[in-house]
Amino acid sequence: MRRDKHIRWLVAPAIALLAAGTLYPIVYAGYLSLLHWNWGSEESFVGLRNFERILTGRSFPKALANTFYFAICAVVIETALGLALALAINRIRFGAGLVRTLMILPLMVSGIAVALIWKVMLDPTLGIVNYLLSLIGIAGPAWFGSVSTAMPSIIMIDTWWQTAFTFIILSSALKSLPAEPFEAARLEGATPWQTFRHVTLPMLKPVLITIIIFRTIDTLKVFDIIFGTTGGGPLRATESVQTLAYQTAFRSYKFGESAAIAVVFSLIILALCMVYLMIDTDNGEKA
Amino acid sequence: MSVLPSSRRALWPYLVAAVAVAISIFPIFWILTIALKTQVEAFAMPPVWFFKPVWENFAKAWSSTGFSRAFLNSLMICALGNAIALGAGIPAAYYLNRRHVPARRTILIWLLISYMLPEFLFIVPVYVLFQSIGLYDTVIGLALVYQVFTLPFTIWLMRAFFADIPEALAEAARLEGASTTRIVWTIYVPIAAPGIAATVILNSIKMWNELTIALALTFDKAQTVTLAVAGFRGYASIDWGAMSAASIIIILPMALFAILAQRRIVQGLSLGAVK
Repeated sequence: MRRDKHIRWLVAPAIALLAAGTLYPIVYAGYLSLLHWNWGSEESFVGLRNFERILTGRSFPKALANTFYFAICAVVIETALGLALALAINRIRFGAGLVRTLMILPLMVSGIAVALIWKVMLDPTLGIVNYLLSLIGIAGPAWFGSVSTAMPSIIMIDTWWQTAFTFIILSSALKSLPAEPFEAARLEGATPWQTFRHVTLPMLKPVLITIIIFRTIDTLKVFDIIFGTTGGGPLRATESVQTLAYQTAFRSYKFGESAAIAVVFSLIILALCMVYLMIDTDNGEKA
Repeated sequence: MSVLPSSRRALWPYLVAAVAVAISIFPIFWILTIALKTQVEAFAMPPVWFFKPVWENFAKAWSSTGFSRAFLNSLMICALGNAIALGAGIPAAYYLNRRHVPARRTILIWLLISYMLPEFLFIVPVYVLFQSIGLYDTVIGLALVYQVFTLPFTIWLMRAFFADIPEALAEAARLEGASTTRIVWTIYVPIAAPGIAATVILNSIKMWNELTIALALTFDKAQTVTLAVAGFRGYASIDWGAMSAASIIIILPMALFAILAQRRIVQGLSLGAVK
């Protein structure tokens, strides 16, 4: 009993840091969201008016729709591509380590550098990508420059940046699968597709769910690659929730409104966390 | 895994790997060539593939206002942020690795949520707080705020590594009168050293590359290397060389990590996401 009391002190510093880093901001952001407060001016209590303004205005719903469009496309593509690459590359005998090392390089690149790299690569007139496309007779689009191609371009660069993450994790998961079910499928004469559909996929399900939730939350928070390329344009076609929150707080200095955006957005993210925890518990409580 | 090892089937994975590797590294390679070209060559159309490398773009990027200081700031933030995360995270990981301790599940869920919350939820509150207590635009301030994600990640990973250590070791030490603190730092930490290396590498990558929080909580003195690189955004149409050189400078330390510690990174990422 005495030792139990003593052991609590081990976790105390972490709790203190977490409380300062999360509890205080959550409470304070909640409070701020009820204020009309532009940095440097007098603040006044306005109740839920900030929420009313962002929810009925045009920018926030637009940013929310953009963000979900981006997140859903990016996560679907990155998960499918990561799985396909993991299935293929796990068959390699020679040079697998080198392949992995080179493939995780994009993951090491800072989001801002990813943005600048692709700004140069996708320059409509001087970029290498449109040049290479012209060699095979395709007139390359304006990429970040036009409303219809800006968001697909952002999705494409996120795919380049983050697919290695899903690839690495699915690749490790595949390696740790037991051999017996595959052996049984082979003996029963299953085709490769049947084996994948009825053996591989069900066994990967817990890992896939984890990856999808983590990537979804990560992509919903997208900021760097938009900030560094389009800055939310053209015509707000790539404005995400976090770039909007940045503009609202540090360009327009509307701190109350920015807090309201952050609070609504956090509730959405929290809901996703809850879904994850529920699924995770269903899969068998390991903790 | 490979069910049908016939020679016809064995070739296509290599083809897939070659294409995946080419797409992964070509953009980085291309930006490196632009960083080594003169302005005329960088803007040449059709692109120049063979040229005599010049180093002036790197000199220009490095000596641009505040760049070298930002580089040092980011190094300090990584060192400090890792020290705080390990100092607070290792004992917490030991605690959470034990089965019957109070509030265990609550703390684990709290860690997950802390890691997941969007940056802008705490950016504005922390901005206001830091302005009033003098931590705004300081290296220490950033290293502290980064704990919102480094600390949960550290605890998560270290807990997974501690779980592999047999409890009998701790029991034996306890019988000889060792305190819990002593057991954590002199028995668990040395055994889990490879795990600590993986944790430090992944934390460093995350902090080194972080932009959103640094953008809001620094102004001048504590600018990070990501902000220094972001400063070249406006040059997109003017000076590709300096912008590309700046990008290569920020990529280089992390690329070295990837090459030297690929296995640790893979191990850490897999444990981090799949528990």
